[in-house]
Amino acid sequence: MRVPARIYADSALWDQISQDQSIEQLVNVATLPGVTGYVYAMPDVHQGYGFPVGGVAATRVRDGVISPGGVGYDINCGVRLLATELTVEDAGGRLETAVHQLSRSIPSGPGRNPRFSLDPAELDRVLTEGCRYLVERELATPDDLAVTEATGCLAAADSDAVSAKAKTRGHDQLGTIGSGNHFVEVQQVDQVFDDAAAEAYGLTDGRLTVLIHTGSRGLGHQVCTDHVRLMDQVMERYGIHLPDRQLASAPLDSPEGARYFGAMCAAANFAWANRQVITHYVREVFAQVFGEAHRPRLVYDVAHNIAKLEVYDGEELCVHRKGATRAFGPASPETPDRYRAHGQPVFIPGSMGTASYVLAGADTSGKRSFGSCCHGAGRAMSRGAAKRRVTGAQVRRELESRGIVVRCASKSGLAEEAPLAYKDVDRVVDVVHRAGLARKVARLTPLGVIKG
Amino acid sequence: MADVAGEAGRALASLTLGEPLPEATGPWREIEVCSPDAVALLVDWLNELIYLAESEQWMPLEFDVIEATHTYLLARLRGRALGTSPSLVKAATHHEARLEEMDGTLEAHLVLDV
Repeated sequence: MRVPARIYADSALWDQISQDQSIEQLVNVATLPGVTGYVYAMPDVHQGYGFPVGGVAATRVRDGVISPGGVGYDINCGVRLLATELTVEDAGGRLETAVHQLSRSIPSGPGRNPRFSLDPAELDRVLTEGCRYLVERELATPDDLAVTEATGCLAAADSDAVSAKAKTRGHDQLGTIGSGNHFVEVQQVDQVFDDAAAEAYGLTDGRLTVLIHTGSRGLGHQVCTDHVRLMDQVMERYGIHLPDRQLASAPLDSPEGARYFGAMCAAANFAWANRQVITHYVREVFAQVFGEAHRPRLVYDVAHNIAKLEVYDGEELCVHRKGATRAFGPASPETPDRYRAHGQPVFIPGSMGTASYVLAGADTSGKRSFGSCCHGAGRAMSRGAAKRRVTGAQVRRELESRGIVVRCASKSGLAEEAPLAYKDVDRVVDVVHRAGLARKVARLTPLGVIKG
Repeated sequence: MADVAGEAGRALASLTLGEPLPEATGPWREIEVCSPDAVALLVDWLNELIYLAESEQWMPLEFDVIEATHTYLLARLRGRALGTSPSLVKAATHHEARLEEMDGTLEAHLVLDV
C-alpha cells in the first residue's frame, strides 16, 4: 500500500462490508502509482471488479495514473432529481396513468430507443458538447444546464478517442434507462430535515418528485472495455505492476492515459445527455397527464461513476469516484450559484421501494473524502443470491401492497433489485451525515417505479 | 484453447438466451482476436461476442475455431438474429479471470458484468 485506507461505516454496516472483498479491493487500490492521501470506502461500499463500488481514490496528475476500473463500466452513471408543485392529492387517480405513460415513453431494459437515433455527426456533437447540444435540439433548457454537474459537458471530451464499436452501441441508446439497477421513480417528499436547503432546492413536504438513475449505456461499457484492454497491454512498458488486472492503469500524461480521459469525458457527456432526454420525456408525460403548468423542474444532476481533475491543497489530482457521489459544499465554485448558501445537492437512491435521500454537500468533505460521499444503499448480496431468496412476483406483490405502482419488463430483474439485496439506506445516510461528508436535507418515498 | 473458446461462447449464449439454445442459421462469419496472453484472449473473445450480440442483435451459437494459440484466435461463427437486443451481459471482465490446467483439461473462470 502506498497510502492508508479509511472506511466510513457503523458497526452494523461494517459487519456487512467485511463479508465481501471490498476491503481487500480497497487495499489493492492503495497500490496505484501516484495515489495520495487516503483511499476511501463509503458506507455503501461493496465489492466490484478490481475497484470496490463505493470507493474513492485520488492520484497526482504530475506523476500518477488513471484507471478505467476506478470509474467502472457505466461511465457517469448518475442521478438527477426533478421537482413538481403537485401533491399526491392533486395527482389523484392520474398518478397511475402517469407512471404507465412514463413506462411507455421511456425505453427500459436492454435495447434501443425507437424514437431517437443519432447519425455519426450528431453523436459526435453529443459526445463533445453533452447537454449543450440538446438545448439546440430543444430537448434541454439553459436553466437545465445551470443545475447539471459541469453544466452537462466536460470540455476535455475527445470523441475521436471513442471507438467505432462504442459509437455503434450508443448511437440509438440516448433517452433509455437500460437494465440492472437503473430506474425512473415517481416519489413524494415525506420528510424535510433542513428547511432552508430544501427551500433552496425547491423541495416541499408532500410534493411529487421524479428521480432518474441511469448512465452511458453500451457506449460507456465499450469505452471501459476498450481502455482496460489497452492499458492492460501497456502497463508493463510503464513499469506498472498491480495486484488485479481489472485495475489496469496508465500514467495520466501518457498517450494511453490521455486517450482514456478524453474518451471517458465523452462518455460522461453522453450519460448527461441520456438523462436529459429522459427528462424531456418525463416533462412531456407530466404536461399531458397533469397539464402544461406541471412540467417538472430539474433540481440537479450528479454523477457517481467518474474521474475528475480537481485541486486539493494546491495539487491537481485525478479523483476516481466509483459508486461515490461528489459532495461539494458552499465554498466550491462548482456549486451552482442558486445553491451557494447550502452546498450542491446530492441524491442517494435507496433500494427499490425504500426511501431515497437528498443531501447537501459539505465543505468538510474536501478534507475527509476528496469531496465525496455515498451513492446509494449498496448491495448486501449478489443478484444471483437475491434471486435465490425471492421471486419477482413476490417483490411486485410486496410493493403493490404498499401502494407503489410497478412497471418492469423482467420478473428476474425485480428479484435482483429486491430491498433485501441491499444495505439499509437510512443507516448509510446517517453515517455520511455524522461524518460530515454531506448533511440530510429531505427524504423521498416511492409512489411509482419504472424499473430498467 | 480452441475447445475452451468454443465452450465459453456456448456458455455466453446459454446465459443470454437460456436452454435449450436455438439452432444457428445463416452464413458463417470470421472473428479474429489477438491478445497478450491466454486469459486476456478469453476476455477479449467474449467481449467480441457481447459486442455482436448488442450491436447487431445477433447471437453466436456455433463455433468453429480454425486456429488457436495462447495469444491468437481465429474462429468461424454461426448464430441467429434475435430482433431485439439480448444484452443481459454487458462486458467480460479481468476480475478474478483465470485459466487453469486440471487433470489434463483446461478450466476457465471469467466474471461477466450484467
